[in-house]
Amino acid sequence: MAFSLVVKLLPMAALLAFPFLTTSYSAYQLGLYLLYGIVGQGIALCWGNGGFLPLGQALFFGIGAYISGKILQGNIGWGVVILALILSVIIPALIAGFIGALVFDRQIGSGPYFSLITLALSLLGYQLANSQVLLTGGFNGLTGINGLPGIDSYGNLYFFIVGALAVSTLFLSHLVSTPFGQLLAAVRENEERLQFLGVKTSRVKAAAFAMSGALAGMAGAFFAPHQGIVTPQVVGFILSAELVIWTAVGGRFGPVGPVVGAVIIGFLASGLRDSFAYWEVVVALVFIIVVLRLPGGVGGLGISIAKRFGINVWSQKKFSRTETVPGADQKESPTLEFDNVSVQIGPVAILSGLSFSIKQTGIHCLIGPNGAGKTSALNALTGKLPYSSGKISWRGNTLKGIRPFRTSGLGIGRKLQVPSIFPGLTIRQNIDIAIWVNRLKFTHLFSLKPYQWNISLLDELQDSFPFLKDNEELAGTLSVGQRQMLDFTMAVLAEPNLILLDEPCAGLSKSETENMISVISNLARSSKATFIIVEHDMQVVELLSDHVFVMHQGKLLAEGSLNQIRDNKEVQRIYAGGSK
Amino acid sequence: MTSSLLAIKNLSGGYGDLLVIRSVSLSVLSGRAISITGRNGVGKTTLMRLISGSLPCSSGELKFLGSNIVRSGAHKRFSTGMSYAPQENIVFDDLTVEENLTIHYRDSSLDRYNALFEKFPRLNERLAQRAGTLSGGEKKLLSFSRVIAEPTQLVLLDEPTEGVQSENMYLMGQVINEEKSKGRGFLIVDQNLTFLEAFTDTIHLIDHGEQIFQTEGNKFRTEIESLIAI
Amino acid sequence: MEVLATFTLNFVYSSATLALIVLGLALVFGLLGVMNMAHGEFVMLGAYSAYVVQSFSANFLWAVPISIIVCALVGWLMEWAIIRHLYRRPFDTLLATWGVAILIRKGIEAIFTRDYKSINQIMPETVEILGITYPSYRLLLIAIIISLFVVLFTWYQKSKTGLRIRAMVRNPELASAIGIDTARLSSATFIIGVSSAGLAGVLLSPLVRVEPYIGLDYLLSSFFILIVGGLGSLEGLLIGSAVIGGSDALISTIFDKTAGYMSVLLISILFLWLRPDGIFSRR
Repeated sequence: MAFSLVVKLLPMAALLAFPFLTTSYSAYQLGLYLLYGIVGQGIALCWGNGGFLPLGQALFFGIGAYISGKILQGNIGWGVVILALILSVIIPALIAGFIGALVFDRQIGSGPYFSLITLALSLLGYQLANSQVLLTGGFNGLTGINGLPGIDSYGNLYFFIVGALAVSTLFLSHLVSTPFGQLLAAVRENEERLQFLGVKTSRVKAAAFAMSGALAGMAGAFFAPHQGIVTPQVVGFILSAELVIWTAVGGRFGPVGPVVGAVIIGFLASGLRDSFAYWEVVVALVFIIVVLRLPGGVGGLGISIAKRFGINVWSQKKFSRTETVPGADQKESPTLEFDNVSVQIGPVAILSGLSFSIKQTGIHCLIGPNGAGKTSALNALTGKLPYSSGKISWRGNTLKGIRPFRTSGLGIGRKLQVPSIFPGLTIRQNIDIAIWVNRLKFTHLFSLKPYQWNISLLDELQDSFPFLKDNEELAGTLSVGQRQMLDFTMAVLAEPNLILLDEPCAGLSKSETENMISVISNLARSSKATFIIVEHDMQVVELLSDHVFVMHQGKLLAEGSLNQIRDNKEVQRIYAGGSK
Repeated sequence: MTSSLLAIKNLSGGYGDLLVIRSVSLSVLSGRAISITGRNGVGKTTLMRLISGSLPCSSGELKFLGSNIVRSGAHKRFSTGMSYAPQENIVFDDLTVEENLTIHYRDSSLDRYNALFEKFPRLNERLAQRAGTLSGGEKKLLSFSRVIAEPTQLVLLDEPTEGVQSENMYLMGQVINEEKSKGRGFLIVDQNLTFLEAFTDTIHLIDHGEQIFQTEGNKFRTEIESLIAI
Repeated sequence: MEVLATFTLNFVYSSATLALIVLGLALVFGLLGVMNMAHGEFVMLGAYSAYVVQSFSANFLWAVPISIIVCALVGWLMEWAIIRHLYRRPFDTLLATWGVAILIRKGIEAIFTRDYKSINQIMPETVEILGITYPSYRLLLIAIIISLFVVLFTWYQKSKTGLRIRAMVRNPELASAIGIDTARLSSATFIIGVSSAGLAGVLLSPLVRVEPYIGLDYLLSSFFILIVGGLGSLEGLLIGSAVIGGSDALISTIFDKTAGYMSVLLISILFLWLRPDGIFSRR
């Protein structure tokens, strides 16, 4: 334990001692690379944690540099310097947040749109920096930038930079351990699932992007006095591309990697660039290899080596669930109504005039042949499938085209057909996120309290599914059946009023199926929730259902108890055993 | 002289690590039609996908004309003599009927379809129409005609009668009998027991990804009905 | 009248050249779903092929087949080593192709330095048309590009291979079932895509400055055109090129180049926001 603390403090001590151990010019160089490293830390936050890649990060770095440079051109005092620093941090952050909110709202997942738009913005920034001569000094840039008052740019400024690095590293280390950090990781793992757990993921990503902008701006603010000159190169895409390379090679999964990458490549480049014409080609090759084979970069290698020696670099604080939060307020009156709902995709009618209503709690099973539209009906309900005519209403409110992240707020919980969890997070973390649904307020995002939350339902579920107690196990290592159970657990932990389960027993062995059946029926009895279960397995339907709906070709064919359904001639006809 | 076209032993597979087919064994000889039936969701289409090569197998033996084909891709299986008519996305919607019928041949001749056009004149009438605008039953007829005309020894049909009118169903059965007499083998998944009873020789019943029942002869309908009723 | 003629010709020229540049990415991203971040670099390689041919004092016409061969080879290598393994992982494809883009850029820079090269004009400077004088090479380009698209469109609609590509894109499972080797066809489509980018580079080389970093502009323009026009259709490509080319030309003339660039960016973000599938989407 003490040893691992020493390992963590060693790099900081080394950085502080560096100027005394080498020449002051080397320390000056190192200062620049540390600044680049800070920008890289922001990129790593977005990329490694959030799963989206900004390709134009130099834009924010450059904006910070231009702001600070402009202000420092005059002879000023510390008050103005502080102002410069604040502006250099806030303005890029606001721009980044705005762009992020704009793009992420429309695009789920890690498509190319975000990356290419950030790249385009960086190019635009470069053009503006060149053309707006009055503001930026144009092609020649801002010159005659003074250092910080009383601080020698070639000497003591270095320690300010190390201080900034310490601040950013501590900030990021704390951030990833907060609920916000965990939600960001969950976005990377399975954005769609997170939305069904009530999280407006576009906001999470935009906030992370804004933070990265702030870090880049801060680094830029120090760049201006450090270099004494700010040219359009600082906003351009070449620097943006290099920042991504340094982050990748150094390691994108933590705050230390990018700094390591920037420093190592920085020093190697300054040494080799002039003597070896193909140096940059080598770096590009290393980048490709890292991307294809070694996603954790040098930092990742370092961590796995440290693990061999028993040094755990990431020691996450462990919390026990000590605070029981009140259960959700479950109301009666579960009125769900489908009124003549139709959906057409091309020439195919997915739903055609689907009408049914549910007025009682309990378990309702939705059955029907393949292609009958069962999952589509659920998709229309939760906003995943837009419908053109008819009306769906839940508790008197019309549901039309609701965004997925709103469903939990409406008291609807959903388990999708294919078990959907967060594979790169531990079981504990998966469950945390489910507990936070409808309970996590903005003030909780950055505190560590929510990790102590517990609800009584969780205890019951952990008794039924004992593997859920393996807190540190990665969810990705679970078997298909266990994933199904975890997915189910997450859907019900929010204590929704309407629980939509799409094939909850698929992939389960016989004993697991029996277990799941008893869990569902216990839950149906003890809570006041309404269940809609899509199932093919008639055994399950027989044991669980209070009421059965049969769908065929996009509409309701029959409803009633299972026995009534069995006697129904039309139902017999559409199922195996009839001639058509 | 019958030869083994398809021999499957303890085949299993599914989607990712979700195992749908647990262990199925069956064989198809030339000149015979074997059918597979069962309730919805038991894995019939998955089984067809494993055999045709659309899905990779997890384990088990899959032999076609005596050679192991577990590693060959779907297009390779076609060129060695296996036709496949899938259950969904059964035609190329954006292409015309004629293009659907000639796309995989060097020539664009429709001569090979003359006999089939006599049985299903509708197809001949709709040659220039986009296949996506056909009705479900017509698409099935198009898909059926395509595989029959292919120069293959084994034909895999997944739900060939879905949406097809009874007269056409009867004609399809006739075609299958004619092809059987020429030595071709058929593996058919369907839920219409009357059809299967009339035109296939052996029926396998699948449930929960495994085969639970098998019978020969053609009076199996009453035996099976109770087993697969809901 | 003269202003109108100039503007019209500029508009046609701008749209045509953009369409040629996008074509490769439309094939690769629109049909195969591969976001090739190195798309612009293939255009750049085409331009440098022209420079190499010129430095050997050979006829400019040799540059056309040479650029296609160079790009086809690089494309083949790229597909074999990288793209093929990442078809179902779009984010990793973006990353890996970005890496290849950097590699190609740095490689060219190491060989040729960052100096701007220029390719000599092969035609008499200007010609009289519609009452104005207009650069003749531009007119030639317009003619070549229009013919190329007509041929390409006809081929895609009528030929067996074009048919099979269309089939494969919409229904890969069925395509395999009827014996189409989808892996080989995808590879061929990718190689054709990057080769057409190289062709664009060669044809444009006498008119643009040739330096290692020109690729990015082409990548971004292509991407924006696909956002606006929609993926998977020729009409989309042409309409997108017209919209982007037209607005850039218009705004640049009224204000300046930077404003033109900004307007293109704004239009694309607007489309992303309001009509994410573009004007003509087939996917």
